[in-house]
This record gives sequence, structure tokens and C-alpha cells, in this order.
Amino acid sequence: MPASLVDLLLTAVARDPGKVALRRKRSTWSYGDLVRGAATAAERLRRAGLEPGDRVGLLFRNCPEYVALLYGALSARLAVVPLNVQERASVLVVQIEHGGARMVVGDPDHPEWAALKAALQPDVGALEVTAVDDDASVETFMQSVGASPGQALESPAVARDDMAILLYTSGTTGRPKGVMLSHGNLVANNVTIIDYLGLVPDDVGLTVMPFHFSYGNSVLHTHLGAGATLLLEDNLAYPLIVMQRLQNERVTGFSGVPSTFAILMSRARIDEFDLGAMRYLTQAGGAMTRAAIQRMRELVPSARFFVMYGQTEATARLTYLPPERLDEKLGSIGKPLDGIEIEVRDLDGRVLPPGQTGELCARGPNIMLGYWRDEEATRAAVVDGWLRTGDLAHTDEDGFLYIDGRVVEMIKVGSFRVSPLEVEEVLATLPGIAEMAVASMPDELLGQAVKAVLVLRDGATLDEREVKAHCRVRLAAYKVPKVVEFARELPRTSSGKIQRFKLS
Amino acid sequence: MADSLRDRIQKFILENYLFTSDTSALGLDDSLLGRGIVDSTGMLEIIMFIEEQIGVTVKDEEMVPENLDSVSRIVAFVESKRKVA
Repeated sequence: MPASLVDLLLTAVARDPGKVALRRKRSTWSYGDLVRGAATAAERLRRAGLEPGDRVGLLFRNCPEYVALLYGALSARLAVVPLNVQERASVLVVQIEHGGARMVVGDPDHPEWAALKAALQPDVGALEVTAVDDDASVETFMQSVGASPGQALESPAVARDDMAILLYTSGTTGRPKGVMLSHGNLVANNVTIIDYLGLVPDDVGLTVMPFHFSYGNSVLHTHLGAGATLLLEDNLAYPLIVMQRLQNERVTGFSGVPSTFAILMSRARIDEFDLGAMRYLTQAGGAMTRAAIQRMRELVPSARFFVMYGQTEATARLTYLPPERLDEKLGSIGKPLDGIEIEVRDLDGRVLPPGQTGELCARGPNIMLGYWRDEEATRAAVVDGWLRTGDLAHTDEDGFLYIDGRVVEMIKVGSFRVSPLEVEEVLATLPGIAEMAVASMPDELLGQAVKAVLVLRDGATLDEREVKAHCRVRLAAYKVPKVVEFARELPRTSSGKIQRFKLS
Repeated sequence: MADSLRDRIQKFILENYLFTSDTSALGLDDSLLGRGIVDSTGMLEIIMFIEEQIGVTVKDEEMVPENLDSVSRIVAFVESKRKVA
């Protein structure tokens, strides 16, 4: 098995350097371009004094420049911290400090870049690289990073367990959670996914999911690992643009979370487009209703529909449901990927028989190294090599898995995880609040949204807008409570614990 | 007419995505996506506002940045739709 994602990229470029790797608007990068860009980035990062094992943060929307920097950093044996483009500078700076990044590279056009740059400690370097949208973007990129092109991209001499990517799943002043993914994790998961999706160089994928999100990260590396083409979009705000690209660029594969497909089905008139080239659709990031899956299959009959399940802590993917079993097992997340073991266990760690609900635990080469600088959280999450996912599940008699809920309280907005504690920490800095609790609430499009219930101190006044405004400047938009309610007291158990489920 | 329409649209975005009434927080030509003011679902909510509160139907093919990516563009789009109607 290759040692790193860089080796997979080098194999792809050796096969066909002129093949298109990435395309964003008018900017097209071949595999040869990408490797030249990555080699230039590696040289620039080394020249900045970064050494193997150092961390480098990247703040970019989906663009080829980000990909070149990421592969360049891996080649230089650095670990990449992909930063959430929707997050606020105040949170990002906490993650950068917690991750001990020695340098941050970002697009100066990003709305948070200026604030982030100003907030960095003096010993953290900041490098600006503008993501450009024209035919000469590779040359512009190489000039922008200011290193001399020409040197070849090196295969890094890394060990399986060397950290490659540090992905923050939440980041607050209290307890940032950085998932450490090794070169071995990424390669193992990548190779398995390429295999079951049957990805080949002729494939053309399109992603709307951000690369800092483990699903988006996986879509990127699987397509590059297969030597395929990946078209880049940032979002689905304009569904028609995405539909036109799917049709006009003869896209063969499209990946989304349930809300991605919900938006397309409600606003994109899918049946009016020719999607005959579409070979597969993949869905992960939470449960999609059976009716929605069936509707997507009817709208895109040429595509095999893959229901998948995973976690950032498992690099991306743990299970998938083979499309040919979809009708028979609709509602299931399928079976473990090759090389991954899954058990459903009770609270005492005993393996449960089919039909009984317990915690889904997984073991395999894709399970994270742990949480960065948080041994306690790592010990709680990974026990004897088994990842405790926090998801409740059961199997049927045929060994197919079904998700039944969550063990831990986590809100899933779209497919992004939001820790209630993270929002509560921000609310706690508002004067006038005696106590508060944050819970999930049903949301038609996103599945869940954030709800805050506040108990004010005597004499204090606060209105919903003030609360939301306070959160908005400190949190990503999707973490801001959609509803703020005021109550006289919070529901508690006899032991005094807040009962969040009663707030939903 | 244009001013009151502009004010309504600006106010809706300020109140729902920036949670303020300070008009200096949102320039009329600011890119709503580029500045990270709204995301995909926010854009859908703006379209619902245009349809339900302003009374102008937004066809799926009209959901493009040229029509929707700033307060000025939304105003121009709504006015052009009203003229046609």
C-alpha cells in the first residue's frame, strides 16, 4: 500500500500528466500543474523554516490552490490544519494556537482573513495566496507563493502513524477537538473508497462540500487518488449553476449530505437536465429519508446510489450500503468497509446480538491517532483500538447496520456537528443570563437546528436579536441559535442535570 | 418606491443574518456569499422572503448571482420582474 496521499498523486501524474485534475470556474489544473504547484508550495514552506512534524493552517474555499498547498505540505512532511471557511476568526485563532501551527496560509479575499491575521501570535507566520479564477492560475499561484518552480514533488518518507491532517471538529475557548489523521489512515480509507465506488481516471466528480469537512476531504483525495477529475464548487446557493455543470461537463459522480439533495430536489428541476453520464451518487452525513432516496433514484436513473456512514474520527468512511441491496435494506447504513470491523456494544462493552441497540464501535486502519493534545478525550473515544462512535445502532440478522440515535448530545445542522457546550460557552459571556441550555430542534431542510433556552437574572433584559447577534460574531452562522426562548427555569432531573431532550 | 424596497431587503438581511439594525454593517453592493453573510440555506430563505413578503416569484432559473448576490442586485431583479408583470 502507498505510504501517503502524495504517492497516490504521483502515480496519477505518471499515468497522464495532461489529464485535468481540478476545475473551478475558469481555472483548470492538470495533474502536471497540480504536482508543479505542490512542489512549489513544499519548497516555500520549507524555506519558511517549517520542519517535519510542524503544523500549517490553510484557510481557503474549495480551490486548486488549497489542494496544491495541502499536497505540498504533506510532501514536506508537515501536518495540515484545514480551517473551517464558515468559522469566525476568534474561533480559528483558538484552533491555530491549540494546534500549535507555525504558519497559516490563507486567501486574503476570505472575509475573516484580515481579522485572523491580526489575531495571530507574533511567532505564527501568515502567507497570503489569492485563489484566482483564470487560465493562468497555476503560474499565478507559483508566483504568489514566491518559490522557484522546477523541482519535482517528493514522495515523503513518512511512517504510517505520522500525522498528516489535523481536523478540528469543534473549537471553543474551552476545549478544541482536533482529530489527528495519519498518512496511514488517509491512504487506507482512500484506497477502500476508490475500490467500492469503482472510481477510475475517466470519472468526473463534482463537490459542493468544503474540504475542511471530512466528507469533502475524502471526496477530494479519492478522486485525485483515482486519477479522476474533480470539479469544485463552494456551496449550493445557486442550484442551477451546479445542475448546469453536472449536465454540461458530463459529471459521472456527485456527493452530498441529505440537505444537498433536498435543495436540488426542491429548487433545481433535476428532471429537465440531461444527467445521463451520472454513474454514482453518494450520500453521507446523516440520515436521508427513504422517500428522498427513492426520489433521487427516479430523477437520476443512470446513477447507482450509495448510502454511506462514517465519522471524522474514522477519517471519513466506516460503512456503505451496496446499491444493489438498497431496495431490500432501505434505511440501513450497510456493512463495514473491507478491513474494518464493527461491533454493537452495550454500556459495559459487551457485544450485542442482532436486533439490540447499543453503541456502534469500530476498529480498522482508518481510526484516528487520537485527539490532539487531549489524552483524556482520546482515552474515552478510542479503547483498545476500538473507536466509540457515540452513535446508537443495531444490526439485522444479515449483519446490516441501522442507526438509532446518538449516545452523546450533539446537534447535527445539515451535516455539521455542533456541540451544545460550544454554543453555551458563547452564551455564557452575555451579561444578564442566570442559566441556559442549548438543544436541537427539528428543521425541515437541515434535519436539526440549534435552539437556546435562557433564564435571565432578575431585572436583566435581553431580546432574541441581541442574543443571536452576540453569537453571530463569535460562531459560524450554522451554530447560531435559530430560535431563542426565554424561560423561568430549565427542566432538570432529580440530580439536577439539565434534560436537553425536553427543550427540543 | 425603490428606496423602500431596498430598505426592506436590506433590513431583512441585517436582522436575520447580521442581527443588527445598523445599515453600515451591510453595503448595498456587498456580496452576500463572498462576505459569508448567507450560506445555501440563507439564500433559500431570502428567496422565500422575496416570494412571500415582496410578492415576486423567483423561478428556479432566476436563482443566479446576477440576481441575488447583493442588496442592489436583488432590488434590480425585483424591479425588473415587476415591470414585466
